[in-house]
Amino acid sequence: MNAWLTQHIQALRLVLLRFAKYKLSTLLICLAIGVTLALPSILYAVLDSVNGLASSVKSDSQMSVFLATNHDENAVAAIKTALEDNANIKSFKYVSKESALSQLQAADTNNDVLNSLENNPLPDAFFLQPSNLEAESIESLKNNLSKLDGVDEVLVDGAWIKRLNYLLALGKKAMLIIASLLAFALVAVIGNTVRMQIVTQQAEIELSRLIGATKSFVRRPFLYAGALYGLIGGLFALIITFVVIYLFNQSLAPLVAEYQTNFSLNYPNLFTCTITCFLALAVGLISAYLAVSKSLFKSIH
Amino acid sequence: MITFDNVTKRYPGSHEALSNVSFVIEQGEMVYVTGHSGAGKSTLLKLMAAIERPTTGTVLINNQNVSKLKESTLPYIRRKFGLVFQDHKLLYDRNCYHNVALPLAINGITGAEAGKRIRAALDKVGLLDKEKAMPITLSGGEQQRLAIARAVVSRPSILIADEPTGNLDRNYADDILQLFSAFQQVGVTVIIATHDALGNVNESNKILHLDHGKLTTNEITA
Repeated sequence: MNAWLTQHIQALRLVLLRFAKYKLSTLLICLAIGVTLALPSILYAVLDSVNGLASSVKSDSQMSVFLATNHDENAVAAIKTALEDNANIKSFKYVSKESALSQLQAADTNNDVLNSLENNPLPDAFFLQPSNLEAESIESLKNNLSKLDGVDEVLVDGAWIKRLNYLLALGKKAMLIIASLLAFALVAVIGNTVRMQIVTQQAEIELSRLIGATKSFVRRPFLYAGALYGLIGGLFALIITFVVIYLFNQSLAPLVAEYQTNFSLNYPNLFTCTITCFLALAVGLISAYLAVSKSLFKSIH
Repeated sequence: MITFDNVTKRYPGSHEALSNVSFVIEQGEMVYVTGHSGAGKSTLLKLMAAIERPTTGTVLINNQNVSKLKESTLPYIRRKFGLVFQDHKLLYDRNCYHNVALPLAINGITGAEAGKRIRAALDKVGLLDKEKAMPITLSGGEQQRLAIARAVVSRPSILIADEPTGNLDRNYADDILQLFSAFQQVGVTVIIATHDALGNVNESNKILHLDHGKLTTNEITA
């Protein structure tokens, strides 16, 4: 255990010394990795924030169920029980046509028009809040409610929310595709860097093998180098993401003030930061492993 | 200590570098491997140091059969040897101290203990004042001595040197051979390959003379 730990500390020390020796090139490589990773990271922050905005808007959204004007008295009670029994409905309220008319009269200054009507043209209505705001579930709820006896029409407020949801799904897919393509680019960048290090260390590797170094002794520093490139690159990516979001929010503030909301892009939280760094480290380690297993022991058996 | 029994080594697409070689080297012996260039001296050393395996025959190192050992255990066998290579194989990107540190690092020895041993090894070859110097600034003889320091730093029981006096003038060469006999006197088995050793051989050293891969003279005393 102790020897094992010593070997790892030794490898890590060696890698850090090499990094310190070639500061500029190490910095540039990590920066390249950071920029590459910052792209999906910023995209994620944007999607996450828009998603938050969409769900805050969605919570105001409701469905209106208008009853047919010629429905019988029992229909209202029947629909009421149907709504109460439906788990997909968070809350609902019933507005009779009389109270709707009086609300309208109270709100509208132009009472002449309303007073001139001979009978109340407004239908009885239920206004309800769905508990599940997914586009599909709202769609099926709407279909179910339309089939109830005495229901004339079901309206979903804000069809644009549905479209926004589809757009968000599209955006998430795009982010995943971009992230995985960039991961391949990272494998190439880190792999190439590690391969070049192997070439420059060729004399040391050969000598070490001749005087009794095990394969893992030779391999270990390169794996550490790859993992560290990834990790430092991930940290750079986070710094870039934070700076970009900060700059963005500054320009966004006067714009959203015009709309009287306080929308701003969310900074990545601790969990997202950890995941970003971990993924970056994993990509670095994997690329180093691929590079090492392809080119390390070509000359010596 | 090292036993060769009917060892043949054939490289792919080439003639036999060694054919049917048999000999025994005991602990603490001083052995010269002689012969013209291309006679198979380097091959013999590589087989001894478990860097290569025989095509046929048996190589025993401390009673372990190299051919039967798993590839992953060979590095541990190699650590028993101190190797001085024909081309030194010094690392020119680091100073003398760190060149000598490499075998210790491979053995997992670092820190103060390593420092003590490295300075002791440099002292033994007379390079203690050059510990910070880069190998490229050393003379040929000094480079050779640095290579020896690196070979002995992990206190191997067997020291193998391939043409250690190859491109050195007489005085330097004598210095180096003195150094090797000093190691032999403290119980280290020393094996030296050379194409012009016979002039330097003294006392009752064992000589393995190779001619086109065949052992022609065994145990002559000069």
